Amino acid sequence: MIKITDLEKVYRTDEVETVALNKLSIEVKEGEFVAVMGPSGCGKSTLLNILGLLDDPDSGSFIFNGIEVAKFNERKRADLRKRNIGFVFQSFNLIDELTVFENVELPLIYTGVKPGDRKKRVEEVLDKMQIMHRRNHYPQQLSGGQQQRVAVARAVVNKPKLILADEPTGNLDSSNGNEVMQMLTDLNEQGTTIVMVTHSEHDARYSHRIIRMLDGQTVLENIMV
Amino acid sequence: MIKNYFKVAFRNLWKNKGYSAINIFGLAAGLATCLLITLFITDELSYDRHVKNADRIFRINSDIRFGGGDLHMTQTSDMMGPLLKKDYPQVEEYTRLYTNDGDKLIKKGNEFINESHVTNADSTFFSVFKLPAIGGDTKTALNEPNTVVVTESTAKKYFNDVNVVGKYIEVRNGETITPYKITAVIKDIRKESHFNFDFIFSMKNVDYQWGQLTSHNFITYLLLKPGTDYRAFEKNFTQYTNKYVLPYVQQFIRISSMDELKKSGNKLEYSLMPLTRIHLYSDYSFEITPPGSIQYVYIFSAVALFILLLACINFMNLSTARSAKRAKEVGIRKVLGTERRTLITQFLVESTITAGISLIIGLAICYLVLPLFNDIAAKSLSLKDLLGIQILPFLLLLPFVVGVLAGSYPALFLSRFRPIAVLKGTMSTGFKKSNLRNGLVIFQFATSILLIIGTIVVYNQLRYIQTKKLGFNKDQVLIIDRAYALNNNIAAFKNEVLAMQGVSSGTISSFLPVTNSSRSDNTFSKEAVMNTENGVDMQTWTVDYDYIRTMGMEIVKGRNFSKDYGADSNAILITETTSRLLGYDDPVGKRIYAPGNNPGDPSIVFPIIGVIKDFHFESLRQKLGPLCMRLGSQPGLASFKIDAANSANLIPQIEKRWKSLAPGMPFSYRFMSDSFDEMYRSEQRAGTIAVVFSVLAILIACLGLFGLATYMAEQRTKEIGVRKVLGASVSNIVFMLSGDFARLVLIGAVIAFPVAWFAMNKWLQDFAYRINIGWWIFIAAALITMLIALCTVVFQAVKAAVANPVKSLRTE
Repeated sequence: MIKITDLEKVYRTDEVETVALNKLSIEVKEGEFVAVMGPSGCGKSTLLNILGLLDDPDSGSFIFNGIEVAKFNERKRADLRKRNIGFVFQSFNLIDELTVFENVELPLIYTGVKPGDRKKRVEEVLDKMQIMHRRNHYPQQLSGGQQQRVAVARAVVNKPKLILADEPTGNLDSSNGNEVMQMLTDLNEQGTTIVMVTHSEHDARYSHRIIRMLDGQTVLENIMV
Repeated sequence: MIKNYFKVAFRNLWKNKGYSAINIFGLAAGLATCLLITLFITDELSYDRHVKNADRIFRINSDIRFGGGDLHMTQTSDMMGPLLKKDYPQVEEYTRLYTNDGDKLIKKGNEFINESHVTNADSTFFSVFKLPAIGGDTKTALNEPNTVVVTESTAKKYFNDVNVVGKYIEVRNGETITPYKITAVIKDIRKESHFNFDFIFSMKNVDYQWGQLTSHNFITYLLLKPGTDYRAFEKNFTQYTNKYVLPYVQQFIRISSMDELKKSGNKLEYSLMPLTRIHLYSDYSFEITPPGSIQYVYIFSAVALFILLLACINFMNLSTARSAKRAKEVGIRKVLGTERRTLITQFLVESTITAGISLIIGLAICYLVLPLFNDIAAKSLSLKDLLGIQILPFLLLLPFVVGVLAGSYPALFLSRFRPIAVLKGTMSTGFKKSNLRNGLVIFQFATSILLIIGTIVVYNQLRYIQTKKLGFNKDQVLIIDRAYALNNNIAAFKNEVLAMQGVSSGTISSFLPVTNSSRSDNTFSKEAVMNTENGVDMQTWTVDYDYIRTMGMEIVKGRNFSKDYGADSNAILITETTSRLLGYDDPVGKRIYAPGNNPGDPSIVFPIIGVIKDFHFESLRQKLGPLCMRLGSQPGLASFKIDAANSANLIPQIEKRWKSLAPGMPFSYRFMSDSFDEMYRSEQRAGTIAVVFSVLAILIACLGLFGLATYMAEQRTKEIGVRKVLGASVSNIVFMLSGDFARLVLIGAVIAFPVAWFAMNKWLQDFAYRINIGWWIFIAAALITMLIALCTVVFQAVKAAVANPVKSLRTE
């Protein structure tokens, strides 16, 4: 599903040049659950942003679903992104002014789903995540675990082929964290490909495979059994 | 501590140069406008207040209606002053001015100079108006005929000296030259006065048929004794008319009482106007100087207040917008033990310093713009006037008031931040759905829309006036002033000008349908014996054979005056309105009558020979009154229809003819269209000022909006990032951000519409002929505001929308 080859990304400020990705090559197959680990600054987030089509690489190839997307422009990336990729963030990134229902509904609006269908699908996914009773609350009124469930609901409502999770349990206590990890595992078992960046060995154990990074390169791959 | 306040304040201003510039410039523009308007209003309100006993001086106004013609004027009969003083002990003194002789030609060296600021006055003038003298005794100065009092600068102009008492000036009237002895020199009359004379001649030189109780040709002032209630005193005017005017009128008209006159729809009423109200409240004809208008004083005061408010609102919005960036500073200060009070002081000091800088820049702008403003507002204000004691405390207080006002909201808002939340970065930025801020923005938009609607209405009304069918053609008519100076050469002059290339016709008459020309009214009746039912008071203009043609007027029935008819000397032309008032469908061939010259003489008969299509001879503020024309000689003005393309060549040629036919007499000319425009100068002025203020208000509002949009974008960076990750396109985001502002514009419009409709209808009431306020004006104003607001906002929205979401979502 994902095949990146010799990917390079360099951040430049006036004086400093930081190499975030250094000729990185990774492949992720459809249906896989991959964890990416490594110390701060090793390039995990940059990788995730490029995989999520939020950022473009300086050079190298990125084949997504058989299409070379490394040179896609903003509009094409956005189009591909909103139909195929769901995001889960460490800080949830829910919109404070919108209710639970409206937050989850957002991706459907941007992909042009009709209002009737939207309602049905949002309710379906809220039900599945067991936060239906909170549908009219605002994010500030929810606990961290509940907020992350809403965020996951939002990530999957569009039935994406790929979910990218950036330390999804980073702001949660262990029981809430486990709950979220279980949700991701369930999604994976239903066929969704998942790439998760994490600092937690415990969380990484939910995955099939761990990619360890250092200084913008893969240093090790562990296959989980 | 205080030093620290200032240090931090200046560093902050310097660090955010862009914000500071917008903030300071916005407030400076607001302050400058406010100062200009304050200067203007103070000046308007100060008229005649410097006169000693101003509270006891009153002018008599007359309201007369006789047979449809309304007279609403500053003049009374010559007898009114003396009779009131004789009968009522409350009258300490009266004085009269006679200005109907118009300009005077005064000799300086070998030439004559035309002086227009001249009057004849009673010897009591200086007992009522105690104008300071610098030479001579004003008490007795005008006791004798052939005496004159001049101002200081006039003395310098003619004699290069102020010690001129006892010297003579020469006044030319036709062929005769009369010497006048200067008996006193007074200080120049202050510009904040409703009269502006340079020469005050003795009343004894006025050639007048004294004792006419129904001819109103004198401006009469009364000095009432202290403690007299002028409203109560006015009631005596009824007694006066019954005692003196009624017996006089009965000589001409069959009438038994003044009530009978009133019942038939006519009136003869007098009232008193306090001296200090004349400039702003008078809507009477024949004011000595063009009056101001209290309405404009109110409007401009409101505008000044609005603009200052707008500027303050901006200041608040911009400061709050910046607060997110300063939250960390507040947090650290709080952790270090700073009290909330100290923080509030810090922010207030900052805003006061900003306001202070704005004031300095505002003063500079004011100074630079003042000449332009003087030009538009027809004033001669100077920044020195600001130092006049009245406004000085206000000026000194202003930066503090504005500082506290504008700084209080951000001060209170910023100091409320909880330090831990701020430092950990988990602070809910809040303030997003502030009703107050939305209220302020709506207020700004409502004001802008109001001003735009006002401007459009004023401009449309002015254009309507300019293009309305007037019934005459004001274009390409050259008017030569003081044609009487040509004396017997006048016919020769007319013929020689007519012979020039590009001159198609010409007429000699003092009466023109524009300002600066003569007016005269007479009462005519349908039957030989006049009563209150059959009389019509109408403008009676003396014209020559070529008048109708030169003015481009139209005869709709009958014929024009013609040399082919020998008996036209008593023939009369009337307008359609006159015909209607007389009750004639076809007046041609009918007759009207005027009383004989002396009581007991038989009536004079005037056969009507034609009807002129109605033409507007007064400002369109007034309803068209009745008018008739007679053949005769009134050689005040010579008007020529010329080919405008030739005017550059023609005028020197005409001047050359003038010089040879009227040697030593000043030549001056004007175009009729300019004189026409002059009638609407005050509206034009208001229109221009309205445009300037609207632009300013919109500019200031936009500055604020720009800041707000920046703030909004900043506040919503995270949200925008999330939305983009979820698939929102740039246009989605821009639409969302702009939509919020568009909604505020719409609410502002809803508030502004009824206010604007009410206010502009009230303004239009002043015009007898006016436009309707079309709905499109409202839509246009709202659209213009919307467009400007969106242009301002979209810039920020696009910037926010195209930013890489990755940056805004990074939380590590």
